[in-house]
Amino acid sequence: MANQEFDPFRAWQDLVQKWEIEINEWSGKMTESDQFSAMMGQATKMNLVAQKAWAERMETMLATLNMPTKSQVEDITERLDRIEDNIERMRLAMEQSGKPQARPEPSRTRKAPKKPE
Amino acid sequence: MSETPPTIPSQDEVSDRVRKEVQRAYQRRIKGLDFLLAERVHVGAMEKEVVYRDGTAMLYRYLPVEDEIYRIPLMIVTPPSNKGYIFDLASGQSFVEFMLQRGYDVYILDWNSPRKDEASLDIADYVDRFIAGSIAKICEITGEEEVTLGGYCMGGVLALIYAALNAPGPVKNFVSFATPVDFTHMHLFQAWANKDHFDVDELVEELGLIPPELMLGAFDLARPANRTAGQINLWTNMWSEDFVKSYRMFDRWAAETLPVPGAYFRTQIKELMWKNALPAGELQIGGRTVDLGRITAPILNIVAMHDHIVSHEATQPLMTQTGSNDRKEIVSKGGHVSLVAGPAALRRLWPLIDDWLAERST
Repeated sequence: MANQEFDPFRAWQDLVQKWEIEINEWSGKMTESDQFSAMMGQATKMNLVAQKAWAERMETMLATLNMPTKSQVEDITERLDRIEDNIERMRLAMEQSGKPQARPEPSRTRKAPKKPE
Repeated sequence: MSETPPTIPSQDEVSDRVRKEVQRAYQRRIKGLDFLLAERVHVGAMEKEVVYRDGTAMLYRYLPVEDEIYRIPLMIVTPPSNKGYIFDLASGQSFVEFMLQRGYDVYILDWNSPRKDEASLDIADYVDRFIAGSIAKICEITGEEEVTLGGYCMGGVLALIYAALNAPGPVKNFVSFATPVDFTHMHLFQAWANKDHFDVDELVEELGLIPPELMLGAFDLARPANRTAGQINLWTNMWSEDFVKSYRMFDRWAAETLPVPGAYFRTQIKELMWKNALPAGELQIGGRTVDLGRITAPILNIVAMHDHIVSHEATQPLMTQTGSNDRKEIVSKGGHVSLVAGPAALRRLWPLIDDWLAERST
């Protein structure tokens, strides 16, 4: 086997890669247990409750400060989305209504290249 | 064979290497600052136009670049939780660019963030409304009655369900990129959404739309070291403009994970994950049973060797339960995303896809 030159910088990269693989493997094993699933189920639920409570508090606070809340901004965004959707549909409908094609379509006659025998 | 111990480099070699690394360290600091101050990276290599839009669905046609193209158009369904530009990140690592240059007429079914009033969209809506509507539009544009239908990850699942429900229908060929079919092999997601501990109904009732953070958390659990290792790698390679540009594009894509409609999420968890209804032949969509055996179109099953999301086993019903007698599998080096983006796929994988698809696209 050919001699390999020691390269400290390559060694550092190898070390990072090895660490990444080991941590990921350890995590993979951990997630196989039932306790992990139970913990994840609880964590998701807790997260949901916390998020909801936080969102309600923020809504009240922003309303007191006379500022738009997240849900109000979302409502406006949705209305803008609908307007954008309608403009897009109108554009597509106009394009279809007999307008001559600006760009010639390529011919659909291409054949697969012959494979070497 | 015994391994020879590494040789000690000479003083000149060491000083040369140190000089190079000092130079790189300077570059890292300069470019590191650029990185922090940079605006959002631009993605997309090829010119495209929206040809169909219906709520969350958006069908792009990428403008052909060849004067003569294959008869059969190619449509790829992207996963509803991710933006479709992963197929066209940048020149030199874009699947769309590659296929256009090889003479295909390429369409990507992409998704916008669903609105609150779209929380009731279910898998049936994606299959019977969005995919069916997109294929109808492509047939209208091209004057053809058949398409090559492809899909990536959950986009592949939706495309597969469409192909089974509409067989023999308009699907001339089926191309799958990391499509999970047997969900008993989706180990991480099975653990995360364990039937005994995961209250999907409560989640859907409370949230309506399922936020991306919920799914990103599961991905982080699968590979907890990836984020940190990615940042260490970024710093190590900060001197390289190409690496930084690539990193920022992938990072933008990963950060732009979309919420999904609650009803869709509920069916995915209950029917696909818990009941494993797809390979069992028990999945009901719009009152019809999804029977994979009805698919007789040629199938190309593309799998990544080191995919921590969709394992090789999870894709196997495509090769064993479909009714096609023209099936091929490609197991490519790399991970989940490396199938659809990046220079390595351009060199190794995509030419094989072209080889397979060209003779089936005339």
